[in-house]
Amino acid sequence: MKKLKQFFNEFKEGMKDFGSGISMIVNSILLIIVYLIGVGITSLIAKIFNKRFLQTKFSRKETYWEDLNLKKKNKEDYYKQF
Amino acid sequence: MYILGVGCYYHDSSAALLKDGIIVAAVQEERFTRKKHDTSFPINSINYCLKSQKITINNIDYIGFYEKPFLKFERVLSQHLHIFPLSFKTFLSSMPSWINEKLRIIRKIRKELKYKKDIFFVEHHLGHAAGSFFISPFKKAAILTIDGVGEWTTTAYGIGENNNINLIKEIKFPSSIGLLYSTITAYLGFSVNNSEYKVMGLSPYGDMNKDTNPYYKKLKKVIDIKEDGSFRMDMNYFIYHYADRMPSKILCKLLNGPIRRPDEEITKRHKDIAAALQLITEEIITKILNYLYKVTKCNNLILAGGVALNSVYNGRILRNTKFKRIWIQPDPGDGGTSIGVASYIYHSILGKKRNFVLKDAYLGPEYPSKEIKDFLYKNKIKYTILKNDKELLKKTAKLIYENNVVGWFQGRMEWGPRALGSRSILSNPCNPKMKEILNLKVKHREKFRPFAPVVCEDDALRYFDCDTPIPESTDFMLMVYPIKKKWHNKIPAVTHVDGSGRLQTIRKYQNQLYYNLIKEFGKLSGIPILINTSFNIRGEPIVCNPHDAYKCMMGTGIDYLVIDKFLIKRDDNPNHMWDSEKYAKD
Repeated sequence: MKKLKQFFNEFKEGMKDFGSGISMIVNSILLIIVYLIGVGITSLIAKIFNKRFLQTKFSRKETYWEDLNLKKKNKEDYYKQF
Repeated sequence: MYILGVGCYYHDSSAALLKDGIIVAAVQEERFTRKKHDTSFPINSINYCLKSQKITINNIDYIGFYEKPFLKFERVLSQHLHIFPLSFKTFLSSMPSWINEKLRIIRKIRKELKYKKDIFFVEHHLGHAAGSFFISPFKKAAILTIDGVGEWTTTAYGIGENNNINLIKEIKFPSSIGLLYSTITAYLGFSVNNSEYKVMGLSPYGDMNKDTNPYYKKLKKVIDIKEDGSFRMDMNYFIYHYADRMPSKILCKLLNGPIRRPDEEITKRHKDIAAALQLITEEIITKILNYLYKVTKCNNLILAGGVALNSVYNGRILRNTKFKRIWIQPDPGDGGTSIGVASYIYHSILGKKRNFVLKDAYLGPEYPSKEIKDFLYKNKIKYTILKNDKELLKKTAKLIYENNVVGWFQGRMEWGPRALGSRSILSNPCNPKMKEILNLKVKHREKFRPFAPVVCEDDALRYFDCDTPIPESTDFMLMVYPIKKKWHNKIPAVTHVDGSGRLQTIRKYQNQLYYNLIKEFGKLSGIPILINTSFNIRGEPIVCNPHDAYKCMMGTGIDYLVIDKFLIKRDDNPNHMWDSEKYAKD
């Protein structure tokens, strides 16, 4: 009985490892697709329209400070994650 | 009313508990998991906070999280879009944690804590600002927050008045003083988000003259600084916006050499680079602060964010700017935002009156005598019981005076990265060899790193050239001040190469036992100052419980441990099963 229980426990652990292995492969494939198609195409379109997502070069403007104006908002706004 | 603040998933996870506006408990997760700068969900810290007040999660009215995860995710996606296809590797490695953890924080909190009430999300830099302003003595103050990065913001300034904070302007990612400092830290062969303070300690060994330090001019090429202190970085010199490393090859070329290997010797070039970085950092912050004063016309300054741990500069702020008073909380970095978000909910969102000023940093766990005695008994540890405080003070002061290295474990653990007299290693600063002894026996630090002195607040001005009145942040070891010249030779073990010391001042009401110990040592040595360094093995967090403390002593060369009223001599106990030194790393 003890041996049978041990066998099932090990079997369960093995299946768990197998499952996480499979999910890692599937996730990686999905992420590669998302990166190449989602991020890649959006990035290309953005480049065509000269959209800059990050400011990476010096500029001649007088200041680099940008408006933030972060102050008290409605209570409901703090439930949001964005 | 109980409010729980939570911060996690970047570095220095922590939890803090507010009871009717008063901080009753706060602790970093690393102290329990023993992983330095632990990023995981702070379940142990939360459990401690609840246990300390003998409450359950059902008593919590609100939980606050220290950032807006979707805003941060937007920034991460923008990085990938900007740099496609160079970010392929980091996209694959970082996305699973975003999908499984970081974007599911509500689910995690509800499931892990079985919590059903409100969860609020507060912007990261607002968390920094609130974490300092609402627990400061100021009703009105100018606020500057500087760190690596929050959601998008890396630097922000504004004003706090009564229950309101308004952060007016910001500098956005990727330009960041914190990340510039981390990049040079990485370039100099030290670990990022951990060893920035080593670069700060290295800087006085380099050339601190802007005109003669060749790397000052070179480093100025990577950053454009305007007169109002705003700045932008040329990202050709950096790769942290798309890779898991920080300096680019162009930066290495600019600085005349490759990234230093950790085992490589530190040369004059490395020291000069550290000095140049410190000079530039100080130049930027001074310009920002002068501009901030001009905008706010306020004499009080609140500084927050990881860069506020730059104690070398903190000690110069009141001399370099028009601000009259400064306040920095004991943990101004990401750890401190759990206090920030909880305070922000109570004072700003709920509009409750401010009724608390943080006077000391003792917010962590404590262990009653019985529990410590049980631990000693169970592990067959030999000890002596000290009859009363008088005997404890006399005996400990004598041991320190006789050049022993003493582990000091008393009361509630400190909040923040510094040991402030609850989990400290104490020794004699008058012994010229004490720095070497400490390094040999316990710390195994780089030779250039100084040890910190602790002095009673009423004695400080005799030995140190402090601002007056001495800022409260000095109590949290956040200010470096010059040591008066005539004492340099008398306390050589805590005098840095430039004649400065990162002192901790202690006031009697904060920690009477610790205060009296310093005075008692003063009676023997004539100088009431001790070396106070954190009670930990290199590479591990500061000790939390009696087990950690005993393990640390037995695994290193600490001679005695004074834990509560128990005195343990290392040589009286076998150490074969407590060999913690083998785990020591950076």
